[in-house]
Amino acid sequence: MSLITETSPSRADAAALSAATPVWDPKPFIIGTVALTVFYIGVRIYEQVFGWYAGLDSFSPEFQKYWMTILYIEEPTELIAFLGLIGYLWKTRPNDLDTVAPREELRRIFYLFNWIFVYGVAIYWGASYFTEQDGTWHQTVIRDTDFTPSHIIEFYMSYPIYIIMGVGGFVYARTRLPTFGSKGYSVAYLLLFVGPFMIFPNVALNEWGHTFWFMEELFVAPLHWMFVFFGWFMLSVFGVSLQILGRIKELCTGYEDVVGLEPAE
Amino acid sequence: MFKRKPNLAAGGPVTEAIEASPGLEGGAGANAPTLAADAGVLSAGARAAAGSPFNSKAEAAGLVKTADILLLASLFLITLGGYHIHAMLTMGDWDFWIDWKDRRFWPTVLPIVLVTFPAAAQAYFWESFRLPFGATFLVLGLLFGEWVNRYTNFWGWTYFPISLVWPTSLVPAALFLDIVLLLSRSFIVTAIVGAMGWGLLLYPSNWPILAPYHQATEQYGLLMSLADLIGFEYVRTSMPEYLRIVERGTMRTFGKDVVAVAAFFSGFVSILVYFWWWYVGKLFSTVAYTKEV
Repeated sequence: MSLITETSPSRADAAALSAATPVWDPKPFIIGTVALTVFYIGVRIYEQVFGWYAGLDSFSPEFQKYWMTILYIEEPTELIAFLGLIGYLWKTRPNDLDTVAPREELRRIFYLFNWIFVYGVAIYWGASYFTEQDGTWHQTVIRDTDFTPSHIIEFYMSYPIYIIMGVGGFVYARTRLPTFGSKGYSVAYLLLFVGPFMIFPNVALNEWGHTFWFMEELFVAPLHWMFVFFGWFMLSVFGVSLQILGRIKELCTGYEDVVGLEPAE
Repeated sequence: MFKRKPNLAAGGPVTEAIEASPGLEGGAGANAPTLAADAGVLSAGARAAAGSPFNSKAEAAGLVKTADILLLASLFLITLGGYHIHAMLTMGDWDFWIDWKDRRFWPTVLPIVLVTFPAAAQAYFWESFRLPFGATFLVLGLLFGEWVNRYTNFWGWTYFPISLVWPTSLVPAALFLDIVLLLSRSFIVTAIVGAMGWGLLLYPSNWPILAPYHQATEQYGLLMSLADLIGFEYVRTSMPEYLRIVERGTMRTFGKDVVAVAAFFSGFVSILVYFWWWYVGKLFSTVAYTKEV
């Protein structure tokens, strides 16, 4: 009995607190976006300075100092960050998927939006910006090693970072949201992070081909087409968005006139 | 984005009714919210306890709008990444360099490989939301990625003049594709008419930018275009120039119809690719679940 009398007010308090707290907290969204963008602008400035100064001869001591050092630091750092983030998300997961209140669920959906957007920012820098940048450096300057200045940033920095963001968002959704945690694994969300993730191991094929097959850089060469195949999986964001919107639609019951939906039959 | 058009039966799309579209037919939440019958009267705590996630109608409207914006921005960035990596590795060399923008391969290859993502996006935006801007949405993303790159890397890092590395203009062709879908409300008509137009429009919509570089010039007794001359002068040290077959053909040796033939062939293949990628778009719009991985 005492438990019941003690719990009831706390539930009411929790509900009131939940109602008073805004659903969308844009701070993670802003911090993630700004942090990634500022970081990559700094990286780009580094490339500008040390690409021409120390990146033209992979046998030179300067290359070892200014470029290989980055490679040696970034890879373990990324692995530790990945394991730490996934471990944290798993360790702090709530066990309330069956009982989560609608407002709390909506809050978590908006938090997932933060994850997905920052994943998009990381995807942009990795798959778009630094990947095409690699083309101009290799085609017009030099590609005398598998670890060129553009590769050290593109393959071994920007790709792992978007992988960390993608897997982090998936684990967050899987452990916090009924839409992704109660009905099995969302096929679309699996594809959304597995496809872009596979671009990273495909680097092995790319480097094998460039090392033993042909060293020149023709971007449309069939050697590169597995990157293309795995890039297609980014379209899975379509399915993920439909699953999220489907749940938001359910949560909008009673507010159809406001959000432009037809009332449920 | 949530709005559903009620008049789908009359004059609706040839494809299928939106009622069959998967995503908006319900999510997978554990708790269906209870109806907030009079949200303006109940206190916030009472509404929360009653199962509604919103404190007021204004909050509901604001959050739905925020969700739309966040989702569209995320879609823009993620599909940009996928489309750009697809584009640069299937047609990139023809798009990077002015001398590769020839009248044979450039108008043949680009439309064929680039109609893919727009077709998939049209399947998603049209089937789920009746939004007729899928192709333009994707193309704007691709062009954003390309322009930023050409300025900050091709020009900013390796110092090629931007006038020699501009991305192919695709907006007119994408608008055409979307307008055909909007007017016809049929993906079959869009595939046949729209994708053919997508192929045909590439060259004319880029000609005002390209024309000055196709002026003839004679160098050391050889007749070549200004673009080819620039390609020879601006040395690309690691690029296998010998793989590119410049202006080799049979009938074109005696005629000038190369572009039209290339464009029609490109449009024809684009039709087939459009059909294929419409279903790829539907495939990636799956809301299916699997029990095991």
